[in-house]
Amino acid sequence: MIELKHVSRLYRSDEIETTALHDITLTIRRGEFVAIMGPSGCGKSTLLNTLGTIDRPTSGQYLFDGTDLAQLPETGLAKHRAKHLGFIFQSFNLVDDLTIYENIELGLLYREGRKGSRRQAIEAAMDRVGIAHRARHFPHQLSGGQQQRAAIARAIVGEPDLILADEPTGNLDTENGAQVMDILRGLNAAGATIIMVTHSPSHADQATRRIDILDGQLVASVAQVL
Amino acid sequence: MWRSTFTAFYRSFTRHPLYALLNLLGLSFGIAVFIALSLLYRFETGYESWSSERDTTYTIGGQYFFPGMPNDIFVGSMGGLLDELKTAYPHLEGTRDWNNSVTVHKGAEVYGEQIELVDGNYLSFFNVPLRHGDTKTALASPDSVAVSEEKARKYFGTIDAVGRTITLSDEEGRKTYVVSAVIRDLPKNTDMKMDFVRLLTKQRMSEESAWHKWGSVQLVTYFRFADPAQAAALQKQFPGFIDRQVGDRFGDDVTGSKIMALHLVPLADAHLIDPKQKAAIVSLGLVGVVALGLALINYINLATARAGLRAREVAVRKTLGARPGALRLQFLGEAALTLLLAFLIGLSLVELSLPAINAVGGLSLKLDYVSEGAWVAGLLAVVMAAGLVAAIYPAFALSAFKPAQVLASSRTPAGGRAGVRLREALVVMQFTTVVIAFVLMLGFTTQIDHMQKADLGFSREGLLLVNSTRYTAITDSQRDSYISAARALPHVKRVTIGNAIPGDQSSTSNSNIVRPGQTDSATASPTVNWSVVGPDYFQLLGTKLVAGRLFDVRYGGDQMWRTDEESREEGRVTNVVISRLTVKRMDYASPQAAIGQIARFANRQVRIVGVVEDMRFYHPTDEIQAKLYLFDAHPNNNPVTFVRYQGLSEPQMRAQLQQVWRRIAPDVPFESTSASANLDKYYKPERDRSNLFSIGAGIAALIGCIGLYGMAAFNTSRRVREIGLRKVLGASRGKVVGLLIGQFLRPVVVASGLAVPLAWLALRHWLSQFDDAIAISPWFFVAAIVGGLLIALGTVGGLALISASIEPGKALRHE
Repeated sequence: MIELKHVSRLYRSDEIETTALHDITLTIRRGEFVAIMGPSGCGKSTLLNTLGTIDRPTSGQYLFDGTDLAQLPETGLAKHRAKHLGFIFQSFNLVDDLTIYENIELGLLYREGRKGSRRQAIEAAMDRVGIAHRARHFPHQLSGGQQQRAAIARAIVGEPDLILADEPTGNLDTENGAQVMDILRGLNAAGATIIMVTHSPSHADQATRRIDILDGQLVASVAQVL
Repeated sequence: MWRSTFTAFYRSFTRHPLYALLNLLGLSFGIAVFIALSLLYRFETGYESWSSERDTTYTIGGQYFFPGMPNDIFVGSMGGLLDELKTAYPHLEGTRDWNNSVTVHKGAEVYGEQIELVDGNYLSFFNVPLRHGDTKTALASPDSVAVSEEKARKYFGTIDAVGRTITLSDEEGRKTYVVSAVIRDLPKNTDMKMDFVRLLTKQRMSEESAWHKWGSVQLVTYFRFADPAQAAALQKQFPGFIDRQVGDRFGDDVTGSKIMALHLVPLADAHLIDPKQKAAIVSLGLVGVVALGLALINYINLATARAGLRAREVAVRKTLGARPGALRLQFLGEAALTLLLAFLIGLSLVELSLPAINAVGGLSLKLDYVSEGAWVAGLLAVVMAAGLVAAIYPAFALSAFKPAQVLASSRTPAGGRAGVRLREALVVMQFTTVVIAFVLMLGFTTQIDHMQKADLGFSREGLLLVNSTRYTAITDSQRDSYISAARALPHVKRVTIGNAIPGDQSSTSNSNIVRPGQTDSATASPTVNWSVVGPDYFQLLGTKLVAGRLFDVRYGGDQMWRTDEESREEGRVTNVVISRLTVKRMDYASPQAAIGQIARFANRQVRIVGVVEDMRFYHPTDEIQAKLYLFDAHPNNNPVTFVRYQGLSEPQMRAQLQQVWRRIAPDVPFESTSASANLDKYYKPERDRSNLFSIGAGIAALIGCIGLYGMAAFNTSRRVREIGLRKVLGASRGKVVGLLIGQFLRPVVVASGLAVPLAWLALRHWLSQFDDAIAISPWFFVAAIVGGLLIALGTVGGLALISASIEPGKALRHE
């Protein structure tokens, strides 16, 4: 499904050049649940952003189902994200001025050619994460766990091929973190491909593969038996 | 997509009411000023729009080039010009309107009205809208009269007045006419009064001695040209035509075209033919555009400032697949909804304030959505187009955020250094405009106050002018009896008679005056404006005698000629009094030097016996005229009676004078006005426009404050954590307040620096139109800058104080 070939990402400011990713080569198959681990600043989020096409590699190739995404213009990438990807962030990133229902709806808004009732899809997504009773509330009226569940609903409402989760439990307590992991495992079991950045070894252990990154380089990729 | 736009628009009000309110208020006020002043501009430039023939009609404008006299183009012509032009150019289609006074008799009562003596084709020429009657036949008979709806109601109690009779007295005597048509009341923006309209007969024309006297002005002549090129072609032939027609009327060596010019003025331009008046209206229109511009600057400022707060939303949307184009469309859609709402509020504000605007501005504006729906829609289109152009920058700025960067940062972006600079530049622009507006406001009001209080060379208080003595129906003995009776009234101090009238130029003439030995030439000799005055004229006005003596009935030589023949008698020299400016024009060394001098005036011998101070009788923008006064113990050439009184109110004095009038001349209506009111017609438009400008400028200042407050609120909220940190490090509340205020005073100070030279230039330009202009005081600038600073201080001071008072611990936790 995903092939990264010799992908590097450099950041340049006036006088400093920082290598966030260095010569990453990686393949991820459909249906995998991959956990990316590593210390702060090692390039985990950059890798995830690159996989999510909101950051472009400085060099290397990114193939998604055989298509070289590095060649696509900005509008092509936007279309790709709308059709194939779902995002979950550590800080939820719900839009403050929209209700939970409307936030989840955003996951469908930019997706072209989708068939079926939008309302049904949103309600199904809310049911799946147990947030339906909060549909009319605004994000600030919800607890952190509820907000993250709403963010997961937004990520899955369009039935994406790939879910990218950047420390989805990072801002949650143990109980809410466990609930989020249950949902992600359930989604994976139902066929979703998930790539998750995490600091938590116990949460990483719940993935089917674990990748370790250090100083922008891939140091280990280990399949895990659950 | 559109639902998303509506939701964002709606939520901006429910979730960020302060921002939304500031944004909407600023826009609404700006749009309201724009609509109101557009309405005024449309009113002033829409004169005679009632006529379907407006765009093909031209009026004759005259222009004289007499030395020392104004050479502005004016609407009006010699009575017989149409006949002479038609003889030379038979294909011409024209008509004319000669307005006269008329007395309407209704039972024993008499009323003074204005009547239009017109050519038979007048009503059909302009396609005058009638309630009853036919434009083609209404003026066929000299015994017919067309009346307006208003006058039909007044005199017949109904507009269904065709066939009814009415008795009128005018130059042709007292006669009964049959009403042949009732004219629809014309809108307020017309200079073509049509209360009473009747046929200008050939006999009436032949009785008018000056009908073919080149240089005289009696009436208004109109022509129709289907193609403007035809008008331009005729215009080119006017100088040659004038030379042929005038002959040597202005002197042996002077061709007519050196003395006067004729212009074909499009009817649409006739109302604002005076460039000063046109400039005043255009300036007010520009104030409207500036107010809208300021409001849009506010919008850009607040929208880009708030863009940072929406950065995360943009990043999320982009992450979810939104394309920049779709986001721009959404933000432009939100802008369009805001503009639409602001337009509706602005329109409502105009509706609500129109009565006040009309009262303050001396106007009669109204918004008629039925007949002017297209115009209102046009205004909406202009506002939307301008607004959307303004909204492009924030929309692009918003859609340009990079999601990875925004989502990785804990702080909201502020648009970078460029964004901050842009916002500062816009605030500078706004405040520059505000300070300029303040300076102009001060300059305008000071000049108008100066005009109203200025020494005009005579005392205008306690002075009533009785116009009824101008009626031709009044006999000399009636006039003398009235003057004697008025003089006998207990509170009357003096009474005189004359046709040099404050605020009324209708009875004055211009002629050359030549010193012995100088060439008598219309193009080289000084021209003076002359009037006939009766006994006590200068004493009553309080005119200062500069040299010599005033007229005195005891001096036989003071009495002017009664007939042309008498004036040209061999050896006859008539005593005259001249004004100080005439002394200068005639090149005498001093007023004293002019006394006793003989001169040739209008081909007659005159002796200067007195010099009086110049008096300002007309528009404050008009130059004072060089005057020559002739004396007549019993003037009979349309003289007005001047009554100086004391110890009574104006209405009481007027009532007493009316009572006397009714006793002496019951068949002629009593008409009077105060000198102050007569002059006020010149000052009022200036005052009204200054008021309108002040309102516009005041609202512009308010918009500027709203913008500044919005920016202050935004910037302060972004700096709360910094404020906490500074306080942790030991900064006092006063220091923090100083820091925050200083940040906002900077653009205001820069704006003041920019505004001073611009305001000075604008004010100097405006003042240059006045003959008696004030000096530009540095205090205008000091007051405007201090005012601007105080407003800025008041606007941001409260916010700064609140922000500086937040506990440091709380401030550091601020997001």
